[in-house]
Amino acid sequence: MIAPKPPLPARALDDRVFAGVAAATLLAFAAVALWPGLSGYRVNIIGQLACFALLAVALDLIWGYAGILSLGHGLFFAIGGYVAGMHLLEHSVATTGVTPDIVQFMGWTALPAWWAPLGSFPVALLAAIAVSFGAAFAFGWVSFRSRVGGVYFAIITQALVYVAMLLMFRNDTGFGGNNGMTGFQMIFGVPFQSPSVATGLALASLGVLGVTLVGCRLLMVGRFGRLLVATRDDEIRLRSLGYDTLRLKLAVWCLSAVIAAIAGLLYVPQVGIINPRVLSPELSLEIAVWCAIGGRGRLAGAVIGAVLVNAIKFSLSATLPELWPFVLSGLVILVALIFPNGLLDIGRWRPALLSRPGALRPQDAAS
Amino acid sequence: MSKFDRRTFLRTTGAAAAGALLPLSAPPLIRSARAAGTVKLGCLFSSSGTMANLEGRMNFVAKMAAEEINAAGGVNGSTIEVVTSDPASDWPLYAQIGRQMLSETKVAALFGCWTSVSRKSVLPVVEQNNGLLFYPLHFEGDENSKNVVYVNSPPASSVLPAVDYLMSPDGVEAKRFFMVGSDYVWPRTINKQLKGYWKTKGIEESAWKEEYVPFSFSNFQTIVNQIRAFADAPGGKLVVVLTVVGSSIPDFMREFANQGISSSDVPVLGLDMVEADLEGLDTQKLVGHLNCWAYLQQAKGEANQKFLKSWSDYVGRTKAPFRPDVAIDPMVSTYDAVHLWALAAKKAGSFDVPEVQKAFAGLSFDCPSGYKIGMTAENNYVSRGVFIGSVNDSQGFDVLWQSEDTPKPVPMSPYG
Amino acid sequence: MWWRALFAGLFGAILTCGAAAAAFDRAAIASQICGGAAGMTDAANAMLAGLVDATTDDARWAAALSGAAIDRSLKCGPQDPAIVAPEGAVNAATLSPVEGSVGTSPLLSLKNRPLFETVRAAATLRSGAAVNDRGAALTALERRAGSLRPEFFEKAAEAETDAGLRSRILAVGQAALLNSPDMSKRIAAIERIAATPDRRSLTRIEALKSDPAYQTDPGFRMAVDGGVASIGRWLSVSNALNVFYNGLSIASILFMASAGLAIIFGLMGVINLAQGEFIMIGAYVAYAVQEALRAVAPGLIDWYLIAAIPVVFLATAGIGVALEATIVRRLYTRPLMTLLATWAVSLLLVNLMRVTVGTQNLQFVTPWYISGGRLLMGDFIVTWNRLFAIVFAGLTLGLTWFVLKRTPLGLNIRAVTQNRAMAGCVGVATRRVDMMAFGLGSGLAGLAGLALCPIYNVNPQMGSNFIVDSFMVVVLGGVGTLAGTAFAALGVGQINVLIEPLYGAVAAKVIVLLMIIAFLQWRPEGLYAVKGRRK
Repeated sequence: MIAPKPPLPARALDDRVFAGVAAATLLAFAAVALWPGLSGYRVNIIGQLACFALLAVALDLIWGYAGILSLGHGLFFAIGGYVAGMHLLEHSVATTGVTPDIVQFMGWTALPAWWAPLGSFPVALLAAIAVSFGAAFAFGWVSFRSRVGGVYFAIITQALVYVAMLLMFRNDTGFGGNNGMTGFQMIFGVPFQSPSVATGLALASLGVLGVTLVGCRLLMVGRFGRLLVATRDDEIRLRSLGYDTLRLKLAVWCLSAVIAAIAGLLYVPQVGIINPRVLSPELSLEIAVWCAIGGRGRLAGAVIGAVLVNAIKFSLSATLPELWPFVLSGLVILVALIFPNGLLDIGRWRPALLSRPGALRPQDAAS
Repeated sequence: MSKFDRRTFLRTTGAAAAGALLPLSAPPLIRSARAAGTVKLGCLFSSSGTMANLEGRMNFVAKMAAEEINAAGGVNGSTIEVVTSDPASDWPLYAQIGRQMLSETKVAALFGCWTSVSRKSVLPVVEQNNGLLFYPLHFEGDENSKNVVYVNSPPASSVLPAVDYLMSPDGVEAKRFFMVGSDYVWPRTINKQLKGYWKTKGIEESAWKEEYVPFSFSNFQTIVNQIRAFADAPGGKLVVVLTVVGSSIPDFMREFANQGISSSDVPVLGLDMVEADLEGLDTQKLVGHLNCWAYLQQAKGEANQKFLKSWSDYVGRTKAPFRPDVAIDPMVSTYDAVHLWALAAKKAGSFDVPEVQKAFAGLSFDCPSGYKIGMTAENNYVSRGVFIGSVNDSQGFDVLWQSEDTPKPVPMSPYG
Repeated sequence: MWWRALFAGLFGAILTCGAAAAAFDRAAIASQICGGAAGMTDAANAMLAGLVDATTDDARWAAALSGAAIDRSLKCGPQDPAIVAPEGAVNAATLSPVEGSVGTSPLLSLKNRPLFETVRAAATLRSGAAVNDRGAALTALERRAGSLRPEFFEKAAEAETDAGLRSRILAVGQAALLNSPDMSKRIAAIERIAATPDRRSLTRIEALKSDPAYQTDPGFRMAVDGGVASIGRWLSVSNALNVFYNGLSIASILFMASAGLAIIFGLMGVINLAQGEFIMIGAYVAYAVQEALRAVAPGLIDWYLIAAIPVVFLATAGIGVALEATIVRRLYTRPLMTLLATWAVSLLLVNLMRVTVGTQNLQFVTPWYISGGRLLMGDFIVTWNRLFAIVFAGLTLGLTWFVLKRTPLGLNIRAVTQNRAMAGCVGVATRRVDMMAFGLGSGLAGLAGLALCPIYNVNPQMGSNFIVDSFMVVVLGGVGTLAGTAFAALGVGQINVLIEPLYGAVAAKVIVLLMIIAFLQWRPEGLYAVKGRRK
């Protein structure tokens, strides 16, 4: 099916918005590092938001640029998260000697022996990258080879993350079941109570976010990014021109998975728990919602969407809990109907667009 | 370049920056809990998601208890304000909101959680912030944090007496057991302890079976088939120990009744079953099945009458979306918890957590269950009475048996 | 409460003096029944023993008393034990009216409940006015025949006027003679027990293998072995039927939940994540119909499930059309955006329902036709509520098939599904067809909600349980084919129940989903692919 091609992204706008987001990240980094008035709680929130933003960036690479919607990115996030959980448990046992709860409720006598290497952070980091890469590669290779795409890919990834959730909910699977992992004591030899932990983690998250943003940006404005966009817009034509789209898609899919895993790795120490909830299809869907709200295919949009949605969620769920689901659903419907390319379109919005329901507009076909 | 002007740039980056800074400038909630002669108590009960129907009502109970205390002059010259939230049945969100309440809202104590998972997720938060969490559910025990007050009973003082009763000649002389549970820590730990207990009683391992189902599982046909087959096998009376939670409870009971098994064939001991789980069921066919709690609505005594009346008044007044004529154990436990905290704070003359903690020893309170519940210096457990309830045909429970006194809570199970 | 028992006992003793001589010492029993759990056991045993020779009048009294104890209309207080009925209270011993009785109802302990149920059934068998009542009582006694003296059945058969029932009583009586000293009666009992081929019978007969007679008497041994073998055969058949029925039940639910989805997805390529919420709304509308019937025509309330069918369909179809016209229509060119938008709609609907109606499970009336079940053969049980869903799913399949194949709307839907552009060219109003099809799909989802009311809890969350499963069924079946969806549902349901007893419910679900995912990687178009342009 030949879809009307969208124009190249409005470069100038993207450049400026991207610069704005990068600057905001830097500003947040500086604030966390230098502003003493920022409470530990807020530093923690900023760190978490950075992780969500990183996760959204990961999804934006694959959805926004390659046009492949994954409703299962929570899987990779969870891989990073569980590796972080195992690392922190091993590390806590090694430094404090206190037996964690998980040993008791799983009916073990000690943590499983094969977790031991994960007690070292470099090993854990490598493991998170390797496992997420491996899983993404295996699944992606099979799917892209049999040309599963579009809505099908979305449904299958959703089922995949659901299966993973069911598996992890089982106690017998061996990762703490529904309880997951919690009760971490120490990180890098520092007890979690220390305020420097929150600051350090937030700085790390913001740093990784900044580096990833810039790196992905460079990658996407280059040849690789252009080829990806071309794959999204007309894969058949690109293939007949002799490009190996399978490789292209597989590369960005694995990159996206690894970034999501790193986001999970950073997220878990900040919330202090990892359990199968992060594998719920709803969370994975929400990641797509963040991207859609912010605007796809320009990285900055993903960051804005993730930060905006989660910031509202954090503040509403404690103050006006009744309101949150209505705000979120309203926001999504609004974006879907009026700002097809996300809130970044606010600047270009013309009420006239509303009056032609169903009419094809060039920029709509991006998905 | 030309399509884009300075104003749009400012608008977009402004939105982005506002988004980033929103939580920083966020809720001008409460600067200090004690500033205006009020003290804040925080609730961690979901009003949306799978636990909403069970947990939601507790927010109102906590407010009701606070109103009672305020009407009697408050605590240490301050009036109590109850801050509610919605963790949306999302376990990590309990921790998140708990952290916010402790460090931002500066609540003096938290009241909340239903599932063990949510408690385990909040536990590190209260420990790191040295806060207090009052946990109103009976649970699997094997935990003893100085920052958590376990208002309800561990298995040794709730489940084991009930099982003992079933095994006794007064009960049904149960010889065999079919355990069906949701697949998470509470059912698994309970079943582990039960098996350890039965082993000490010389019961063979072939006398029990264990099945676990995922959360919100509903197709119980196969499992009920298995129960029927196991019941008909030789070896003595079979009892089902049901530890599924949430929506699985009514689904299981419905299938059980539809397959024609009555309580006189195979009684079900539903450890997490409350009146709310029978809503929407035809209980005619379920009469005689059992549950086991530290409070039942049919409990005798003035304290209970008073509690039931204030709850129905409260619901009528506030239009809370829950039944005014149904009271379940966790509601009473939440009610007890708020009162216990107030008593401790009064005794300590302070709202500071270490002071309040010190004041726990020797507290006692006239619980609506009719027992005088109390705390000792030994641990943060509250000693409660035990009731075994029997389903009646009007979606409630009758008191089949109740303990003489309040057994001393044993946090750590000796049965594995 | 020993003093109360004593008190009541004294009272009873005084009363007995005045009562006419009868097989039952009614007053003594009536006083025992108020003597706590132990007293109740004694009372029940006394009645059971007395029922062998009891007169019809005595039996009627025993039925009334045990019934009162079971349904808690028996009152024990400072006065004589009394039975409270809507017409007024009567003395439990004499059944003569008494003035406003006070007291509490003793609660049957777990051990006493089956005893009293047996007494009530045995007494009803002796005294029931209608043949049906006596027949039902005999059915209840069948499983507990061992707790009655064999002579009871002989006497009951003698007194029985209905020939069919008499032979049934004799047959049950035979089964109770398993331990008779007469070997021929024992063998007859074994054969009689083996005629009900369930696990319980198997246990009873297998236990006889340790009987000394098994070693000494070849005829006895043959009867036992034959019984065990025959029951074993029937049991394996009934187990297979159970598995099939359970699978069919899951399949019917899956099919109902995904039929509407299949039409919408097949036609428009639109993923409607609000499908689950249409199911939920369907159930809520059924509830509204029930409440309306309760207000308008309480006599018809049992038929609300039938009366609600058109209402539910029209209401959910209407909401579906509205959703299509306001949101989905504007997003046809962006299926992934539709996915997110419908997800937002589902979030909105769940929360609207939560805020307006509340989170509690709705209270449905359980009409007789969906309550309970029937043991058809051995251990094979058919539960009516699931049969209702199966029949309902079958009818829906038939009707939807008819609409799609035999009506102009169906023709249009199929045309647009196969080639939208060409259908538009030959004059099919594709927009209108989309709208109608969306309405049809939503209406079907609503009907699914109706069919689910007797099986699941109805609350705002209920829809979310179906989404992943029903999508997998649709995709597995092949987009745009109703038959494919039906086959996929059947396959998934059956495989699920086959795996469940082996590895547990969670693993079954995991394995089935993984199988589907693997299958789709191999054959992305699903089981049945519509011949048409591949999109």
